[in-house]
Amino acid sequence: MTAQEVRLCGLLLQEHFGEVVAKVGTHLLKSGAQNLRTIIHETGISLDLVKKSLCVLVQHGTCVFSSGRKAPGSPTEYRTSCDRILRILRYPRYIYTAKTLYGDTGELIIEELLQRGDMTMSSTVKTVADRLTQNMEEGRSMDYSEVSSAFSKLVETHFLQRCPPMAGAGTKDSGTPATPATPAIPESFPDCYRVPHVTLIGRGKRRLSNEDGEDQRNAKKTKMDSETHGDEGIYWQVNFERFHLHFRDQAIISAVANKLDQTSSEIVRTMLRMSEVTTSPTATCTKPLSANEIFRSLPSSYNIPRPILDQYLTLLVDDPMEFVGKAGESGGGMYVVNLHKALANLARATLESVVQERFGSRSARIFRLLLRKRHLEQKQVEDFAMIPAKEAKDMLYTLLSQNLVQLQEIPKTPDYAPSRTFYLYTVNQLPTARMLLQNCYKTVANLIERRLFESKESKRLLEKSQRIEAILASLQASGAEPEQLTEVEEMITAPEKQQLEALRLHINKLDSAENQVDETIFLLESYVNSTATS
Amino acid sequence: MAEVKVKKETNISDPAEVESRIKELCQQFPHGITDQVIQNDMPHLEPQQRAMAINKLLSLGQLDLLRNSSGLLYRMKDMQSTSKMKGSDNQEKLVYQIIEDAGNKGIWSRDIRFKSNLPLTEINKILKNLESKKLIKAVKSVAASKKKVYMLYNLQPDRSVTGGAWYSDQDFESEFVEVLNQQCFKFLQSKAEAARDSKQSPMVQRNSSFATSHEVWKYICELGISKVDLSMDDIETILNTLIYDGKVEMTVIAAKEGTVGSVDGQMKLYRGVNPVIQPTGVVRTPCGLCPVFEDCHEGGEISPSNCIYMTEWLDF
Repeated sequence: MTAQEVRLCGLLLQEHFGEVVAKVGTHLLKSGAQNLRTIIHETGISLDLVKKSLCVLVQHGTCVFSSGRKAPGSPTEYRTSCDRILRILRYPRYIYTAKTLYGDTGELIIEELLQRGDMTMSSTVKTVADRLTQNMEEGRSMDYSEVSSAFSKLVETHFLQRCPPMAGAGTKDSGTPATPATPAIPESFPDCYRVPHVTLIGRGKRRLSNEDGEDQRNAKKTKMDSETHGDEGIYWQVNFERFHLHFRDQAIISAVANKLDQTSSEIVRTMLRMSEVTTSPTATCTKPLSANEIFRSLPSSYNIPRPILDQYLTLLVDDPMEFVGKAGESGGGMYVVNLHKALANLARATLESVVQERFGSRSARIFRLLLRKRHLEQKQVEDFAMIPAKEAKDMLYTLLSQNLVQLQEIPKTPDYAPSRTFYLYTVNQLPTARMLLQNCYKTVANLIERRLFESKESKRLLEKSQRIEAILASLQASGAEPEQLTEVEEMITAPEKQQLEALRLHINKLDSAENQVDETIFLLESYVNSTATS
Repeated sequence: MAEVKVKKETNISDPAEVESRIKELCQQFPHGITDQVIQNDMPHLEPQQRAMAINKLLSLGQLDLLRNSSGLLYRMKDMQSTSKMKGSDNQEKLVYQIIEDAGNKGIWSRDIRFKSNLPLTEINKILKNLESKKLIKAVKSVAASKKKVYMLYNLQPDRSVTGGAWYSDQDFESEFVEVLNQQCFKFLQSKAEAARDSKQSPMVQRNSSFATSHEVWKYICELGISKVDLSMDDIETILNTLIYDGKVEMTVIAAKEGTVGSVDGQMKLYRGVNPVIQPTGVVRTPCGLCPVFEDCHEGGEISPSNCIYMTEWLDF
């Protein structure tokens, strides 16, 4: 948990859950596992608020609790981890992916689950149906069964999973076994992906425009609407790992499309689709697939003859990037997709692109040269890269000061006399990737802070525009004349309108920049994690 | 006069005879003869006389003294070179010999001093003398610009000293290298595009997008942008820089001996490639390119709230 990660987590928590939760969250991040009393004492927040914040954090799965370490009976301790909180940055990407794969229904299901943390299937289906009905034309409404089928599809492809049952210290059942010391992994439960049998018959309800009255009635209704649907206690959460595998596959496919051509990327896409559920998340490469199977599973729009497919596969295997490897000759040739190698190549391309944009293409040449040739002397760098000596020296020292390039000393004599030592320049991919990852975290934190700053600067203006919009809406609802409307509109002067417009553009730009940096973060994180497990 | 019996002195121990005999032996064995050979030929010759004869020939500069693993060797010296040294004394001859041995790499004055054990002032005098006689010349080394190496007058300096085709008068020609770089890349790129547009089977496409280093060399020679003659090795160094730029990839294939451009039964093939990813996300933000990234903290002089780079970027 580096300082940059903690800072970013604090900002994300503040944006999504508010100041108090952010305070409690960052405190837990910095100090590790603590019990309730210590948290209250050290943060200075009242018991009530701390309890509520912890509830919020637990609901979203960011905080886990376990019985104390000192003795079995000591108070429970709460622990958070950075990874889960950093996922918040990626929520827009998850929602967008669900939309592309499963349409609006899927998008709304994922959005609801991300917002609430975890929900039962029935409540999800009802909420989503209501929301969809809201956006449909008058007289039409969304059937529960459609939403349920979308939900089941998401579960089948492992995008949603059941939350592991919490065997915490507060269970009332007397028959529970001893509390486990560590929270269980969802995948270890056999029913993880089993859709429960729910009796959900009905259609989405449209909310009428009279919001206030409806709210009160709805509140009463939920209390009385206690029909059980057969899935009490079964909560569902979003399976982030599965989304990450999907993103990783997408990255590999687009890299193949860039490097080779569209048909090769389609072949790789088919191979990855076939091994979606058979490959474990930490595998180095997919299970071997025979060329016959690939041929049969290709989408019918690409009717390429069999020998041409073989040629494409051979080309993929021969490519220096080594996306695909050959694992045997049976069945017309067994092929695997080298996942870890592909990730390493993508991470290397990311590093090279950063050096290129920051320092220029000649420094990028030196950087790539050192990546290929591992260790080189100053003179050799100049010769291979064909850059004049003075400039090459300058660039190398700049890269060295930014810690992208390291110096390795090899002494000829036991005393490290400078005139009798070899100094070799080298690049280590993994530590450099880690360093760049931390820089990305800092970048995102900077972007979020700038966005908050911009909104704060124009707070007065924003409040004014909000007031005017509210007045306009109420006037329109009560049927006012056009002159009154224009009079209200003119309360915002033209330069203020311009300012508002500029502000809106700025905030959109900062938002989209955060998403772009998140793409880089994802690639580098996957690469670092893949090397950790292998 | 009655026939004068010219008493031919068949005194084989006559020094001149000995010397000429030795010279004949040397000519018989151009690689050099050892003491043993001379002894076998003239077994009755005393070692002292032999040594005297050999020393005389050495001082006359007609014999070369060499050492190999089994002992000393004597070799016939070239007649022309001996005439050059007329008028020079022994020290100069020694220095000249050292420089000659250095071949076309040249030798530094300090190294001459080590090898000949002569004091510096003497060396300098001799070097000046030899230079004025146009027997040796000084060449500035490209590696260390203050260093001067000496070599024989009529030798071409070696590539490592002058830097080869990329240096003209000790200056690295970066524009020349850049131009060559661009040209090679354009050639390979157009070849790859032609292959892609031909819409044949993928294997044929890929193979036709390859170009051997020989083909690239011919193309560059025909373009005529280079004043200097470039060898295939030079072109390969240029193509290597393109590989380090990430624009080109190389494979090596086995080729039949005798096909054009093959070296030791292998041929290098080059092909233009596309980059694997677009410029990554973090470099599209000002922070990714910021020169003062390390100094940026919230609440400091440089912070996200008052970052001028961000302000510029947002208004873009």
